[in-house]
Amino acid sequence: MQPKLNAMMNLIKHEIKIDESFYKIEEVRQLTAETFSLKLPKARFAFKAGQHISLGIHGDYQSREYSIYSGANDENLEVLVKEVQNGYFTPKLRKLKAGDLVEIHGPFGKFGMEPKDAENGKFVFIASGTGIAPFRSMVRTYPEIDYTLIHGVRNSTEAYDRNEYAADRYILCSSRDKKGTYHGRLTGYLKGCTFSPETHFYLCGNSDMIFDALEILKDKGFERDQIHCEVYF
Amino acid sequence: MKYHLITLGCQMNLSDSERVSSVLESMGYERTENEEEASLLGMLACSVRQKPIDKVYNKIAQWNKWKNKRNVVTFVSGCILPADKEKFLKSFDLIFQMSELAQLPEMIREYGVVTPAGLRAPQPMMPKNEHIAEMWHIKPKYHSTYEAFVPIQNGCDKFCTFCAVPYTRGREVSRPSTEIIDEVRHLVNQGYKSITLLGQNVNSYGLDKNGEEINFAELLRQIGEYGKTSGEEFWVYFTSPHPQDMNREVIEVIAVYDCLAKQIHLPMQSGDERVLIKMNRRHSMDKYRRIVADIRELIPQATLFTDIIVGFSSEGEAEFQNTVAAMNEFQFNMAYIAMYSPRPGAASYRWENEVSSADKKDRLHRLSEVLKDHSRAYNETLVGKTVRVLINGADRKTGFSTGLTEGKLIVRLDRQDHSLMGQIVDVKITSAADFSMSGELQEVFSLSNQ
Repeated sequence: MQPKLNAMMNLIKHEIKIDESFYKIEEVRQLTAETFSLKLPKARFAFKAGQHISLGIHGDYQSREYSIYSGANDENLEVLVKEVQNGYFTPKLRKLKAGDLVEIHGPFGKFGMEPKDAENGKFVFIASGTGIAPFRSMVRTYPEIDYTLIHGVRNSTEAYDRNEYAADRYILCSSRDKKGTYHGRLTGYLKGCTFSPETHFYLCGNSDMIFDALEILKDKGFERDQIHCEVYF
Repeated sequence: MKYHLITLGCQMNLSDSERVSSVLESMGYERTENEEEASLLGMLACSVRQKPIDKVYNKIAQWNKWKNKRNVVTFVSGCILPADKEKFLKSFDLIFQMSELAQLPEMIREYGVVTPAGLRAPQPMMPKNEHIAEMWHIKPKYHSTYEAFVPIQNGCDKFCTFCAVPYTRGREVSRPSTEIIDEVRHLVNQGYKSITLLGQNVNSYGLDKNGEEINFAELLRQIGEYGKTSGEEFWVYFTSPHPQDMNREVIEVIAVYDCLAKQIHLPMQSGDERVLIKMNRRHSMDKYRRIVADIRELIPQATLFTDIIVGFSSEGEAEFQNTVAAMNEFQFNMAYIAMYSPRPGAASYRWENEVSSADKKDRLHRLSEVLKDHSRAYNETLVGKTVRVLINGADRKTGFSTGLTEGKLIVRLDRQDHSLMGQIVDVKITSAADFSMSGELQEVFSLSNQ
């Protein structure tokens, strides 16, 4: 009887095999009242820091793209989410808890640098809000990387995981309180900065910030090829 | 036993339909254009705009009424958004992804069986292309005897905000280059004159294989080398490229080989940087300008086609004027100009569609006028010259034929002769119009007939 039972069990196992696109949430890490990270099992695909994934909720038709928040060698795949009031998707994500299934496809995109460039180059990362996600991934993936991270937020509480960045490399531009490095919009800070000519700039966040920052950097004489953009929607 | 197949949308669906026909005809089905005499009714849907999806809903409603009178089986495949798929499950008998095409005979025989695409949870929402290779192994039933489409890649990873294709066709997967080159060889041996390499982003060809496949430039070079030794005259096109991955190497290869057509379709979508960022196009106007400069330098005779969307979210008059300026700068031979319409599933669907319909129509009209001027000006430069033309149909005017130059410019010919269909002939251009030219047949010359 035992071989027959094993065969049946194998058949059942085969039939209920869950597609490898599905990940079980291990932890919902609350960062602020509105922002949290979804901590998932280790990625079942190789990715480069800066790439994004498509994230869906099991049973829902819609999906959204999220930059990967964790490092390429980390034990967990992580995404950073800010709940959009009256939005469709993020309030649903907000309700998820450990053990729930999400669907992940990817990785996608070319935002980021080659590992050899990460070791030798000079980088300025410019992020608004949760646009910091790909930069955390880069910093965790390339611990020796020479970077400055300029992070624009409304309130200084949105300085997600700021302790992970060296204090002299992280510039917090807070527009609604004075607890950041700079009080005001990041574009205001950027206008007063000088950078060495070989710097490469990586911009991530909403399209208005990206466009304004792009114009400022072009006015400073940097070539478009030195400026890399990832737009959040 | 007859089948009727409706194909909506782009050339990729048209190419897929050739493989669907092949599978059905191998089962003994005969194609009919009269849907009322078919027992198997199918559609290849397109989700790029709402209109073709509406057509699917209208058609299946009609077909389902026929079920009260006779036995018909219905199916749908193609580009389908997850939300539409759920609805189609209730109205079509069969729904499958193209990657499951090889299993279609079994599905039809056991009509009613739940197919992998039709399974509910936990079914991945985004189509997975891991079995797409099986579909590519199916020999297509080509629609034409002189013009063919060869899929080289399926899916899209670009996530332009106006487009839902990544959610309907899944991520980019490249077809093995050996298969592509074999199919091109086979077509050339059969006398095909116009071969189009198809993919959502042909320039990304091979990149998904992480170094285990050649890149797009090398694929073109290998096809070019074959063309050189074949002794046949044929033109190889490709569509659609994305400026992000278009590079000088590709243009250099096209310049070298006669069989690589000197016509480049390079979708610009907008001439405004801010709109391009909002569209998540991942290319700048500087990058686009460099590609066009390379084309003009290395292939000065090449015609240049593009795609433009007018009235996209955030496009004001100033942004539109940048597109007009870009049109004047690049002087396209042809532009497929579309008024923006939000598509469910695309990111921009969630945004306010702030440009009025009247403004979109106005911009479409104004841009078409600019295009018309450039097209006519270019066509006029060809008057008096003799060009090679592939004859592809009868003109509406009795006694006339139509054809396309290597650069895909329309030529009307003062002769109607069925034996010329599918042949490349010499035509002397006698006059130019906005989007076409007229000419006289010089001689019938086909290397394959020598």
